[in-house]
Amino acid sequence: MAFDPILEPVLERNAQWAEDVEKAVPGFFTESAKGQHPKVLWIGCADSRVPESVLTASKPGEIFVHRNVANQFHPEDDNAQAVLAYAVNDVGVTHIVLTGHTNCGGAAACHAAANGPTPPGPPKTPLDRWLAPMIALAKGLTAAELVVENVRVQVQNLAKSETITAAWASGKDVQVHGWIYELESGRLRDLGITRTKNHH
Amino acid sequence: MASSTPLDQTLQQIFERNDQWAREIETAIPDFFPNSANEQQRPKVLWIGCSDSRVPESVVTASKPGEIFVHRNIANQFRSEDLDAQAALQFAIGTLGVTHIVVAGHTRCGGTLTAYLKGLNGRSPETPLDRWLAPLVELAREKATSLEVEEFTELNVRVQVDHLVESETIKAAWASGTNVQVHGWIYDLETGRLRDLGITHTKDR
Repeated sequence: MAFDPILEPVLERNAQWAEDVEKAVPGFFTESAKGQHPKVLWIGCADSRVPESVLTASKPGEIFVHRNVANQFHPEDDNAQAVLAYAVNDVGVTHIVLTGHTNCGGAAACHAAANGPTPPGPPKTPLDRWLAPMIALAKGLTAAELVVENVRVQVQNLAKSETITAAWASGKDVQVHGWIYELESGRLRDLGITRTKNHH
Repeated sequence: MASSTPLDQTLQQIFERNDQWAREIETAIPDFFPNSANEQQRPKVLWIGCSDSRVPESVVTASKPGEIFVHRNIANQFRSEDLDAQAALQFAIGTLGVTHIVVAGHTRCGGTLTAYLKGLNGRSPETPLDRWLAPLVELAREKATSLEVEEFTELNVRVQVDHLVESETIKAAWASGTNVQVHGWIYDLETGRLRDLGITHTKDR
């Protein structure tokens, strides 16, 4: 590859990181390659400012991750549904954490579309269609309220999913949590809307 | 904030580590968080990788928050009919001005192995996970008899890169003169190293 000023530093940092880890914890990678046993599935935003493993200081192997625009969990989305099914049934996670965040560009766009002078038209692009449910949700809310309400709705969608309802029916106590990551402070907040086998 | 359910130790630890991390950043770079919140994000890279817990892109590349826009799914797939990934690509290129897309596969990928084995035995897709893996299973049906699973893992990355190159979003970006690049990488779990497969596509080639 010809020298790429964007990606070359990324690859160099990776090489340095791998060297540092190997020195600090000899055998880390060999052990890690044997299998993964994360307890947590993080469903969060694709936003570059919300890298789950950095902001939770987690090591590789701790958090199974699905990130998309505005941390959605749509019932008809095979992508997210496949992640959930694999995470719960194959990997054995016991906590699903649906994390929204302040200053979400997707939420801001939906807020503007729903509350502007003209009503939103029919969705045209893939991004329009992806955000359509959130645009519908946004009417009459502030952008900040939308971020929180969006997390509530996605937690509900998760709790109603085949994967989660089947897990609960079979006695597995998988828990679904709704969190917000506050960009201004770098802190995670639990919204206190957890759904469990016995409380959903 | 108190939860109505007592917080599991796993999650309690996550909150504690997050708090510790945030404090360290605040001490080292006092304006980091307010600046991060006030400015729009300007990442140059979109990472399309696997959901596998062992491949957290920002940790393995020692990247700071704000550097990499991320979509992770089972077996790092990109296909045009998948609204989830398409929306992420469109937002990355159209709204954020990302110029480098990296499809990152990895060794010992469970989703890839599942597809590889199913390709050898054949069964109709029923569940969302089955449907999600169906194209990869189809690919395995054609190729698995002549490839080892790690070669198949690399082929998967090549195919996803091809899908990106053929997508409306990328074609439109190139047609308008924007030089978005699409790269295919593999993360070697056994060594922690990223490897460029050398299959980069740009506007001019």
